[in-house]
Parts: sequence; C-alpha cells; structure tokens
Amino acid sequence: MSPQRSPRMRLAALAAATAAISLTVAACSGGSPQGAATFDPEAQTTITWWTGQADQAETILEGLAADFEKLHPNVKVDISSGAPSTDELLQKLSAGFAGGTYPDVSYAYGSWASELQGSKRTLDITDQVAEPDVKWDEFPAAARQTAQPGGGSTIGFPAVVDNLTLIYNTTVFDAAGVDYPTADWTWDDFREAAKKLTDPSTNTYGYGYSVSGSEETTWQFWPHLWQNGGEILSEDQKTATFDSDAGVKGLTLLRDMAVDDKSIYLDQTDTKAAQLFASDRIGMITSGPWTLYDLQTAKTSYGVVPLPGTDGNHESVSGPDLWVLFDHKDANREHWSYELTKWLTSAEQDIRWNVAYGNLPLRTSEVQSPEFLAQVEALPGLDVMAANMVNSKHARPTVKGYVQLSEAVGSAISEVLQGQGEPADALTQAAATATDALGG
Amino acid sequence: MASTTAGVRRRSALLPQAHAPRAATRPGSRKERRRAGIQGWGFVAPALLIVLGLSIFPAVWAFWLSLQSWDGFSTPTWVGLGNYQAMVTDAALRDAVGHTILYTVLFVPASVLLGMALALLLNRTLPLIGVYRTAIFVPFVASAAATGILTTYLFNPQFGLANTVLRALHLPQQGWLEDPSQAMVVITLMSLWGQAAFTTVIYLAALQDIPVELLEAARIDGANRWQSFWHVTFPQLAPVTVFVTVWQVIGAIQLFDLVYTTTRGGPLDATQTIVYYLWQTAFKSLEFGYASAVAYGLFAVTLVITGGVVLYSRRAKVEAF
Repeated sequence: MSPQRSPRMRLAALAAATAAISLTVAACSGGSPQGAATFDPEAQTTITWWTGQADQAETILEGLAADFEKLHPNVKVDISSGAPSTDELLQKLSAGFAGGTYPDVSYAYGSWASELQGSKRTLDITDQVAEPDVKWDEFPAAARQTAQPGGGSTIGFPAVVDNLTLIYNTTVFDAAGVDYPTADWTWDDFREAAKKLTDPSTNTYGYGYSVSGSEETTWQFWPHLWQNGGEILSEDQKTATFDSDAGVKGLTLLRDMAVDDKSIYLDQTDTKAAQLFASDRIGMITSGPWTLYDLQTAKTSYGVVPLPGTDGNHESVSGPDLWVLFDHKDANREHWSYELTKWLTSAEQDIRWNVAYGNLPLRTSEVQSPEFLAQVEALPGLDVMAANMVNSKHARPTVKGYVQLSEAVGSAISEVLQGQGEPADALTQAAATATDALGG
Repeated sequence: MASTTAGVRRRSALLPQAHAPRAATRPGSRKERRRAGIQGWGFVAPALLIVLGLSIFPAVWAFWLSLQSWDGFSTPTWVGLGNYQAMVTDAALRDAVGHTILYTVLFVPASVLLGMALALLLNRTLPLIGVYRTAIFVPFVASAAATGILTTYLFNPQFGLANTVLRALHLPQQGWLEDPSQAMVVITLMSLWGQAAFTTVIYLAALQDIPVELLEAARIDGANRWQSFWHVTFPQLAPVTVFVTVWQVIGAIQLFDLVYTTTRGGPLDATQTIVYYLWQTAFKSLEFGYASAVAYGLFAVTLVITGGVVLYSRRAKVEAF
C-alpha cells in the first residue's frame, strides 16, 4: 500500500507536472520574436541553412557559407547538414514545421516540392528570379519547372541536376564480342545487345532494372513513355494517362526483355545492379552522374552514351533537387536567404560547388569552363551527361499525389517484369489508383 | 506447485515496494505528509516527464492523427473514423496481415520448440558448456541490420552461399529472397537464428529452477527419461511456455527490421508485414493519418491477444504474468 493522500494533493501534483511539460514543449517550439517588416541592409541577421549533404560536399558548402559571410559582414549563416541523410530531411522539415523551428534555406528532393509548397511556409520568388541578372533560363527546363510546383509559386532555386544516360561496361561487351552502344541506338539495338551479353553460365546479364517498386523503378520508365509520345498526366493534371499505348509499348519492351529474353537482372534493392555492373556482371545500366564516382573507385572500364531512342527521340528524365526558401515573416532573413541562394547558384559559385564535387553543372554556361573540363578528365562521361541535359524535356509532375502515383506505377512494373500480369492490364489498374490519389 | 516458477519469482521481484512504504506511513502531521508527497513527486518527476513526453504524448497524438488526413506538411483535414473505415477495404493491408500471420505461424512455434530443445541440450554438465551457451546466444546480440545484410549475402540467388552449396550437391537453384513464395521462409529462418537464443535462455533459467527432488522422485518411481520430461519437467515449464509464446507472438506481429534490411517488402510485396506497411504508408506515401490508424489497429490486436492469454492462463492456473 502506498501512503494515502488527499485527492486535491494529487490534482495539484498533476497540475504541476502538466505545467512543467507544457513549459518544456513551449520552450522547444521556441516562439521566435517578431520579424522585421521592412528590409534593413545594415541589420545583423542570422539565417539557417540545411544542406542535406555530408562529408566533402558539406565541407565545400561550409567554405562557401564562410565566403558569403565575408562578403556581407552583418549576415551570419548558420549552416549544418540538417539531418543524418538527405532522405531524412523531409521528416526533419515536417517536425520543424510542427515545432516552429525550420530553416531559412533547405535542400530538398524535387519530389517533395508540392508537399513543401503545400505547407504554406515557402517563399514565392517568382518575381525576383525574373530579373535578368539571375539568368533563370540558363537552368535546365525540368529544374525550373520543379522549382515552381504546379506552375504556381517559385519556392526556390535548382540545387543539383542530373539525368539518365546509358552506361555500358566495356569488359562485358568485349567478352561477348558485341559492338559498343552509340549515340543513335534504338531500343531494338539495345534489346538485341542485352540478349547477346546475357550468359546464364557466368551469371552475366545484359541490363539491370530495379523492381523494388520505388521511385527508382518508376522514373526509369518515364523516358520509355515520353519517347513513345505518351504523357504521365492529362492537361489538367487530374487524370493519370501513362496507361496509353505509348506506356504499354514501353513496358512491353521491358517485359519481353525480362521475361522472354531473360536479359535483365531484376534488382530488388535499388543498389545491387550498380554494384554488379561495377564488378562486370551486368553489361548496361541506365543511370546518372552519381554512379561515375563509384565506377572510378571500382576501376570499372565503362563508356557513356545518351539513352537509346525511338524514331530519333532520345529523351531522358531528370531528377532535379532544390534549395527551398522558407518564410519566417522577417524581411531581413527573407532578403539574405534569397541573396545566398542566388549567389550560390550563379555560374561562378556553382563551379566551386557542383562542378568541384563531380555533379553536373547547374547552368549551360559552365560546360566550357576549365574546371568542368578538368572534372571530365577525372570522371569520363560527365561531358556526355552534361550535354544530355537537353534531352530532359519533360519534368516529372510536381503535383500532390505523385508519390502515390509513383508507387502504383512502380508496383505495376515490378509485377510485369517478374512475369505476373500483362503490361496493358497492369498499367490500367495503376492509372486508376493514381487518378484516385490525384483527385483526393 | 507454481510457486517455484520463473513467472512468479519475477513477480515477487517487482514487489519490494510492498515493504518500503512502511516507514512513510508512520503517523505524522498533515504538513509532514504533504512534504513527503512533494518529495515523492520530485523523485518520480523526471521519469514521469520522460514517460509522458516520449510514450503517452506520442500515443495520444497518434490517435488524434488517426482521425485526420495529413501529409506532414499541409493543414490536416478531419476525417473522423474514415481512416478506420478505409482499413476494412484496403487490399494491400489485408495482404500485409496475411503475410504477418504466415510469419507468426512459421516463427512462433519453431522458436518456442527450438528454444526448449536447445535449453534441454544445454542444461547438463558437459565440458565447455559455457562456450556452447555463449555460441547460441551470440546471434541474439547481433543487430537486425547485421543479420539482414548477412541474409542477403547468404541467400543471393546468383552469388549467395546457399545456392553455391546446392550447386555443389547438384540440386536445383532456388530464388530465396527473390522468390515470392520463399522469401518469407528465408526471413523466418534468419529470425529464428537470432531469436531462438532468447527462448533458449529463458527456458534454461526455468529448467534450472525445477527442484532436483522432483526429478529424483520420478526416477525412483521408475519413470524413464521421456516420462520424467513429459510428466515432470514439461508441466513445470508451462508458465514459461505461455510467457515466451505471448512474447514471441507480439514480437512476430511487429516484424519490421529484418524486412527493411533484406527485401524492403518485396519481391512483389510478398514480405510486406503490417508494420512495414504502416512505415511505408507514413514515411514513403506521407499518409500519416492512415498509418496512425493502422498502428492503432495493430495495437488493438496486440492488446486482445495479450489480454486473452492472460485471462486464459489465470483461469487455467498457469501463472505466466
């Protein structure tokens, strides 16, 4: 038995505990003081910047932040990676919104753009970026569209751009005596080569494709759809239209390769195909700049060409990431966040960041810079990828509901490639699910 | 009978406070008692804050969320019981429940029987018995992430050790983790490898609690080894069996980590368990409201199972809890 105590006493204790907790919660959510209503160029201002980067990339950005502080002595840039991995930034931002402590500038995957815009905490810089000195048009079209989800407000600057190209393993091609891919390959050439490269006795495959059902599965499919003249969504962005003949044709090619030819290594994990390619077990993958560094490390002998085409259309897909700007109702912070990202994404600074790190240059004007040419020496094929940016004509949709759409398409592709279901039926079913998500 | 079992001993270990308050109940003035009360709250306050802040508050918030539709960013919309209604017709959730039941049915009996068998083998005086016991227990200490990575190496259809062995024996190659009909079995095998150690240790402790006199008496009465196991040892282990079964069932229906590190729910969603599904719904599809509703559904099921077993064991006079 515990000591008896009057009910009033217990209530008082409970109230005290509740008060303590509410105080703690209030302290955590930290109500910031009223922000400046008008911009004061001399005011001491601190802006928070979540980079989503680690290691060398983070070091480069920290150096740039220090330079920015030198240029503007009254501005302090509080820079950190924000989360242990880029993936986790989304949760961090969501929690930050709930607690009221979100950054001024954050890295974000392009696929988060519509959700971030939906939070109503992003800035709209549409008017500012129209100024000629921003040279907004130098950014790839897909990146510009992603920064302006749904065609509404512009929520930030492009941060990193990429696209899919065809990377081939010359060791595997030589062993099978197959001619290397060229820039004007068709998908039929591609299929034929993949078939010749495949050798069950040595566990060698012609091509690797992810069947995890994630966005990796899905976005690899979009070039097939677009090259055949299809669209992901209808004009009004309310209906999924990827189950058109164009989509069925694209998926049928992949199905025939996977099921009939058995020339595709079906990767359940999103990562194993690249590793098998690096160790000469897969002849071709369709991937982007991030793969080149690993291939260098593994000393894989490779070549890069644009994706195979349909009737001369070699359209690819791009997954641009963003620097998103957030509103704190403070004119000073707003001004300097904008200035920081504008400065960072200018050609001069981008050479020191994206190019130095081995990403593709953000702007077309950087492609001829000596810094980029030096990177091409170190990572052969980077120049093909930079030039291939012109083949990223469509942007992936930035509508609410894309996440569910991606999941539905990813599952449909995985099923068909693993021999369950027919392309047309699977896509029709996925389109119905996706349309549901877009409407709701 | 049951007074010597681990279950009851565990319970009595929780009861020292039965003696402690005697000092506090000394007759004293109202003021003194009040001071003692405040002191008491002072002592429990830090723990209380942690429990309220990290367990109760998220639980209440998750329930609140389960009544809303929320993507983590925009303003939540109130849907009442809509999320719970959606669960009824959700085919993917139904599949996930099926996969979880399959795993539970494969895993729980196997881990309980294997644990009992290993414990019986280890409950004897052998040279190097400490080494054997340690060897059995080591996999339990390994993290699920490490186990998962090991699994993907062992059971890779093209390059894994399992298929290499089959090849050497001229047996047909298997798809293992990449075959929808085998993946769950492989995951069960790997979790048994880690989890059987837990049941073994519990059974070992219970076996060492069985009074030697009982076994000696049985032997004098002419019981052979099987008879003394079946009529003496096994009944003595009943409370522990109920305990580990419930414990393993609760663990099994919450399977997530091994799936996350090996198949990510694939191939073709064949290993998508309830918890994996809810994680994916919340953090990949950003449907926090619906995922919270699924979590509460799972909570209700767990509660019913536990409550049912506790009631049953009380009625059957097997004191496991």
